[in-house]
Amino acid sequence: MEQNDKLRRLEIFEADALGFSTQLFRVALRVCRDREQAEDLIQETYLQAWRSFHRFEIGTNLRAWLYKILFNVHYSEVRRERPELAPIEEVIAETIAYDPPTPQHLTEEEVLAALERIPRDFQVPVVLADVEELSYREIADALQIPLGTVMSRLSRGRKLLRMELANYARGAGYQVAN
Amino acid sequence: MKPPVVMDCQNFKELLDSYLCGELAVETNHTMLCHAERCCVCRGEMAARRRLRVSLRSVCSKEKMSDLAMESLRARIRAEAGVGPHAARTVNGKWMRGWFAGLFKPWFLTPAVVALLLVAALGLYVLRRGNSDDVRRLTPEQIKALELSGSLMADSASGHRGCAVHFVNAAGPAEMPDSVREYDPACVGLEKIAAEGAGGLLLRAAHVCESGDRKFAHLVYTRDGGLVSLFVTVRDCRALKSGAAPPFSGLSLGPQRFTLDHIAVGAYQTLKRIVLVASDLSEDETGALVERLASPVVEHMRKAEAGAGLEEQAVRPKRAED
Repeated sequence: MEQNDKLRRLEIFEADALGFSTQLFRVALRVCRDREQAEDLIQETYLQAWRSFHRFEIGTNLRAWLYKILFNVHYSEVRRERPELAPIEEVIAETIAYDPPTPQHLTEEEVLAALERIPRDFQVPVVLADVEELSYREIADALQIPLGTVMSRLSRGRKLLRMELANYARGAGYQVAN
Repeated sequence: MKPPVVMDCQNFKELLDSYLCGELAVETNHTMLCHAERCCVCRGEMAARRRLRVSLRSVCSKEKMSDLAMESLRARIRAEAGVGPHAARTVNGKWMRGWFAGLFKPWFLTPAVVALLLVAALGLYVLRRGNSDDVRRLTPEQIKALELSGSLMADSASGHRGCAVHFVNAAGPAEMPDSVREYDPACVGLEKIAAEGAGGLLLRAAHVCESGDRKFAHLVYTRDGGLVSLFVTVRDCRALKSGAAPPFSGLSLGPQRFTLDHIAVGAYQTLKRIVLVASDLSEDETGALVERLASPVVEHMRKAEAGAGLEEQAVRPKRAED
């Protein structure tokens, strides 16, 4: 009986939760910036998710729940490996004063390169909001930061992205209005 | 988010991303749209940011986990859940850890059961190959002399279960360490020798390991989440049930097959070595795999032994009914 319940739960888990693996991987890649580490992070995330799946309430937001586990796993790894890590990017971002208009002509490679150049603390919320289409509240829950911090990081992250893109556009000879 | 009292271009740009994310209140959306209708610069910016979002999504959606990582993820979850090919360690918890686990303890190994399985396997084989010239060349005594020992069966099965399972997620591809030379020089580059028959299998590990009191050169593969082991070990007196290795190989007999606790094993004997393939795939799948995977290794060992001057003796003593 217990085994049957477990099999049923596994079936649901595989059908529903594993369906988000590609989305989670994209975010893990931004977080780890290394393919192999991102795959390890996804493995650990799903193993922890499976271990807690009996507590998950079917019908609630599975995607947000998985993202929250992903960042929990990541934070515990980071704390273990780099306990002294400080959010210095916040300081860097204070210096953003200029918000250029979004360039009109860009290749996908340039967009990806620009995204990869912005600091991780800003890049991750941008990907969560603009690529994965999580709500600001879901991002706050996943990253375990206040909603106001999400909004400020998103605003700064998008500005940084536009600055990088404007640099590319200028380098390619396109005119970028000031 | 409350709308600003006056929506100017600066406010519009500040709120534009939140508008595109659907994070603004209905009335703010309306104010945004009204401004965009009147201001062509802001309309252009809105279109550009929309395009940027599309580009971002498009470029990021190309990043996918490798098939290998996905396969490994599924296998790990299933193993964790206690189902699938690696589940024997955990599935049905207590029962499996009870007497079945005891089977693999050398002091509690049930040699009678193993011997019965072997005799049955040999008998079946002889019946199925009744018309084969090769088999008719062996007398019943010779066939009996080729019977592998229960301890070898147990050591190879528990080697597969106890050792291979640790490499199910190993990054691979692997190379047999050169130190294998100390154990058996013929096993240097074993993974390359076996590669010819290893199509569809993913090599996870290559090493020398011990199971029970026996050493093995061990290649670990996976296929569809299932584990496959290829072992090469010395054909010594403990490997044969009779307690003495006969002076002829068992190659004409084909593989000896047996199954222990869902682990299917097929074994070939050359003059000096035993090549075993163990797998937790189904018996049918393993059956097909044994010959394919072991054949190039067996042939390599046979040539190495011939090169060292070893010769078969008394393979064709008599052909009774010929």
